[in-house]
Amino acid sequence: MSESFRGCRGRKVISRASASDLGVVSHLLVDTQRRQVAAVVIGSGRKTQLVDWGGLSGFGPDAVMVADEAALRPPGDDGERAAADGKLELVGKKALSDRGNELGKIDDVTFDADTGTLEDLIIGDRRIPAGSLLGCGSYAAVLEERQEDLG
Amino acid sequence: MKLLMTASQIHGLPVVTVRGGEDVAEVRDVIYSPEAGRLVGVTLNKRGFLAGRSREVLPAEAIHAIGQHAVMVLEESSLVARDDAPDEVAHPATERDVLGNDVLTEGGTSLGTVSDLVLLVGGSGEVVGYQIDKAGGGQGYIPLPAQLSVSGVALVVPNITEEFVADDLVGLGASVDDFRARLGLK
Repeated sequence: MSESFRGCRGRKVISRASASDLGVVSHLLVDTQRRQVAAVVIGSGRKTQLVDWGGLSGFGPDAVMVADEAALRPPGDDGERAAADGKLELVGKKALSDRGNELGKIDDVTFDADTGTLEDLIIGDRRIPAGSLLGCGSYAAVLEERQEDLG
Repeated sequence: MKLLMTASQIHGLPVVTVRGGEDVAEVRDVIYSPEAGRLVGVTLNKRGFLAGRSREVLPAEAIHAIGQHAVMVLEESSLVARDDAPDEVAHPATERDVLGNDVLTEGGTSLGTVSDLVLLVGGSGEVVGYQIDKAGGGQGYIPLPAQLSVSGVALVVPNITEEFVADDLVGLGASVDDFRARLGLK
């Protein structure tokens, strides 16, 4: 099933083992090299916690299920801390082609809820395959330039 | 049809890493080699308000692409310390600056004086033309052969250049391939 970054923001995160409420999804951490959701960021500020994609038992339409609370961990390094603060969030980021031309602002990103694989980047009325994503930082997301995306 | 921009439009553009998506510097000035017909590098300012001059420079080989909104490099290590840069980048020969030079055809007609460089958008610094203040007044754009001779005072262009003086960058973009074909260049 296809999910979107915007659509899952604020979704409940529940422990499968204890059925307890662990918080809500604030961001998704993306592995730009593999074009995958790497982890789910829960909460914000100092209480931020991460669950790696492999620690989920299901990314459902009503709740994100974490296999076990032991899978929760704090941000591991500066990169993850920046991601947890939303600085690397794809949605809302300026999209820049690798040729140095602006393509617009990323409005949403879709991904496969079963595998976490990114599908499309939505910029205005265009859908750009996530395969063109080359990198994402605090300034911009960089996409491989295709002629049809310009203009 | 080629998309073109002037070198002055590059000033102040962010330098962004393709793999990192970070703005690591911004363009202070371009360094141009008229003989090679291309930029040899750009000097940099640090990013941010009142950040000042950067000690690093960006040699042309490390430029992934120059676009309308950013200069792209693969990673932050593409920027090099001035001392480690090739000599033409570290110590550009300012006496060969073409700005203000008289543009003369081989037949001896002056087309005007050079006021800016014209580059390919999305390229890595190839200079395909000059913006000129026309001899008769007003601004124009001329295409360039891949290489040409310059003295620091005047530069000499083929006679047919006169037929290719364009009023704007769009006009030049449309004619630059024709011009090169007429000269037998690719």
